[in-house]
Amino acid sequence: MHSIRLLRMILNKKHTILLLILFLASFTFSQEIKKEVNDSTKTNELEEVIISATRTKRQLSSLPLPAQIISKKEISNTNTVRLSDILNEQTGIITISDFGGGEGVQLQGLDSQYTLILIDGVPLVGRSAGTLDLSRVTVGNIKQIEIVKGASSSLYGSEALGGVINIITETPKNGFNGHLNHRTGTFDTHDTSLGLTYKKNKLAISTHINRYSSEGFDLIEGGTKTVEPFENYTFNPKISYKFNSKTNASLSFRYYLQDQDNVAISNDELLTGDSKLREWNSHLKINHQFNSKWDTYLELYATRYKADEFLNTPDGSSFDSSFFNQLLIRPEARATYTLNDNHQFTGGIGWNHETLDRSFFSTNPTFDSQYVYAQYDGNYFEDLNVIVGARFDNHSEYQSQFSPKLALRYNITHKIAIKGSVGYGYKAPDFRQLYFDFTNSTVGYTVLGYNAVQTRIPELQQQGQINTILVPISNFNDELKPESSVSFNVGFQYTPVSNLKLEANLFRNNISDLIDTRVIASKTNGQNVFSYYNVNKVYTQGAEFNFNWKPFTALKVSGGYQYLIAKDKEVVNDLENGINAFARDPNTLVTVQLQKSDYFGLFNRSKHMANLKIYYDFQKWGLNTNIRTTYRSKYGLSDSNGNGYLDTYDPFVDGYFITDWAINKTLYKHYELGLGIDNVFDFTDPQNISNISGQLFYGKLRIQF
Amino acid sequence: MKTIHFNFLTLLFIAISFTSCSNDDDAGTITSPVVTSRAENIPAPQQGGGGQPASGDFTKFSFSTGAVVANDSNDWDIAFRGSTIAINGGQVTGTTDEPARTGTTEAIIVDGTFASITSAPETGYTQDSTTGFSIPTGSGNGWYTYTGPPNHLILPIAGKVIVFKTSNGNYAKVEILSYYKDAPTNPDGTDSRFFTFNYTYNPNVGDRNF
Repeated sequence: MHSIRLLRMILNKKHTILLLILFLASFTFSQEIKKEVNDSTKTNELEEVIISATRTKRQLSSLPLPAQIISKKEISNTNTVRLSDILNEQTGIITISDFGGGEGVQLQGLDSQYTLILIDGVPLVGRSAGTLDLSRVTVGNIKQIEIVKGASSSLYGSEALGGVINIITETPKNGFNGHLNHRTGTFDTHDTSLGLTYKKNKLAISTHINRYSSEGFDLIEGGTKTVEPFENYTFNPKISYKFNSKTNASLSFRYYLQDQDNVAISNDELLTGDSKLREWNSHLKINHQFNSKWDTYLELYATRYKADEFLNTPDGSSFDSSFFNQLLIRPEARATYTLNDNHQFTGGIGWNHETLDRSFFSTNPTFDSQYVYAQYDGNYFEDLNVIVGARFDNHSEYQSQFSPKLALRYNITHKIAIKGSVGYGYKAPDFRQLYFDFTNSTVGYTVLGYNAVQTRIPELQQQGQINTILVPISNFNDELKPESSVSFNVGFQYTPVSNLKLEANLFRNNISDLIDTRVIASKTNGQNVFSYYNVNKVYTQGAEFNFNWKPFTALKVSGGYQYLIAKDKEVVNDLENGINAFARDPNTLVTVQLQKSDYFGLFNRSKHMANLKIYYDFQKWGLNTNIRTTYRSKYGLSDSNGNGYLDTYDPFVDGYFITDWAINKTLYKHYELGLGIDNVFDFTDPQNISNISGQLFYGKLRIQF
Repeated sequence: MKTIHFNFLTLLFIAISFTSCSNDDDAGTITSPVVTSRAENIPAPQQGGGGQPASGDFTKFSFSTGAVVANDSNDWDIAFRGSTIAINGGQVTGTTDEPARTGTTEAIIVDGTFASITSAPETGYTQDSTTGFSIPTGSGNGWYTYTGPPNHLILPIAGKVIVFKTSNGNYAKVEILSYYKDAPTNPDGTDSRFFTFNYTYNPNVGDRNF
């Protein structure tokens, strides 16, 4: 089994190289022609502007923070349709599917729940099990995707531990414009986008409609499908009005709905049902510029995320049902004061109001938190940039948080820059960790949220369900602490020649008070009661390298590599002291003593991740093509020998390559035809990786009007 | 396998050297060698469980004979039903169909590899009682962890060696290797409630060495 997989991997590697050679060969002949092509593309390379890093418009290239932009061009050239697909191709980022099937992002080795996902600066909600499913987001109307790495709670508050991913939607150009885009491919997968924009004088209106559906796929024969058929729709109308040269307002609305078959097998009985998601976001933004120094924003954001699921037995009676209904309302005021070209101040004040109605909850909780933040962005001696900021969050249910951040950048020469930042990030305990009240109906264990323990344990005791209390309920008097981290980033930027850019970034995230579950009482049925508590200290550290090379205008080569170490400090200590340092030899099943070097690290983390992308533009023929390969080294998913952590005796998922290829041809100026293969070499690992379906062929038609 | 073999030789060596010593002290006693064996596929059927009250007879096992003994026999050291392990010492815990404790067996869980436990602890042993089993039940409490959904596996915790002082005053140590029939490397959850364990039994009364 292993050798076959290895062989396939080697073959894949060889194929990749072969294909690369063919690919490179295919354009070398046209190189000479390209040379004489005019320089018009140069003008397109305007300085990339990023707004997520400082909440003001900043040149990406002058930023003291590790950040990156995925352009609209990259999205359209790769024919990507969902956010998860395009993020997966970025250095140091991987989307990982959780047990519920959602695809969350792992960034700098931190889980999905520690990265804040924003659309136009406001957050998406609906993390029923911690993960925010990124396949929920269509990329059809995206101007750019901004990624800021490192803790950013100084601006954004909770969840911004690992970083922030901000999706910036398009703004209309003058006149009436539109596009119709359809992509169809393997597994009867269809993605249709219709975008209409209108702008005249002071008014701009746009609408984006997307439908995405698939028959799903099955990696393991028999039983239920790996991914059941689904269809989803996104409606995104937006209107903006410029009252005068100083005041403008915009209102955007987004509605997302998904229906998916829900199928399960229990005791040889086929259970069927539905899984429905409904989400809306509405975002009102008013901008007023008092004078050249004062710029102010007023925002009102509201979003609701609803999920309903049920399963019925063959005779139609209910087997299981659950619901999740979260609401967030956030007013925020923000101002920027620009003293002069070198000194800028930004401040904001806001309020989060959150409610959740959910099955298996002890109550319908409400969160209220008020926050204020400030930031200073200054330049000194022409070459030094300083950003210092902090945010204070006052919360109704957990300890107040103060999140500072400092970032510096120094241009040593005009070719070399060094940047460094240190910041505090935190994630508030979520509703589930506080209010869960769930008893498994078939096995009989119970999970209680931290705040539910004090009322529920005495109740269970009265009902005679508790055998022994292992953690006294007085331990639950204090509030559960937010998970927090201090993150360090040191980066170098080197531009030896104008068409080559090299970047390196070293990072370290020290995370404290990680929330985990533990047994707090044993039940009379032999099962346990679990609850949440602050325990672990973990760290993730590593190095990231990126290069971007344009040997000539038509060719762009980019690549990246991330080395990552992610470990639980307690496990490291235990192994040093020989505590709980045992594993089972998988062959003899006998216990063996573990050394510190036997500890692999946190689950689902690969030491090595890399990508290589080659884009070629046959401008003369209106043709562009690209080939992208990503690599992920081996990782472990579960502990097999009862010590709770991943050691060398546990099973590992083999490393793998995924190669995608796309080609697009523009016809009659307004039409674009695209073809491609995702996962060219048909890599699958049915046992371990449920979100890689194998080879996908597709065709695309885009009509621009 | 290597470890066991080595261990066995060591034990034999210790046993022999011990034999020579004790011969000087007490010429009349003939000491027997310490024996390490593997018990395979000891069935531990159970009715109920999984949230429901458990019932059914425990399967009794004797270290001195190295075999399962009849259900009505009082000549046993440990007994298995599902993931629950009873010892022949103390009082009944209150669960249905529990065997009577006629002996004085005591047990203690010690951390270490099987080979590293070269002598039984002097103190710290407990017996079954009305408040619970000497070898605690529940995931992570005693000898196993329960993996929960989706596989629902019972996996013996590595580095847990159960040391016994039997009713006759002999010492034994046990490392449970598997809860599944034929001790598969990667159990899939089927054919559960079959114990496979390594054990060392010292037939010399009062001798704590393994």
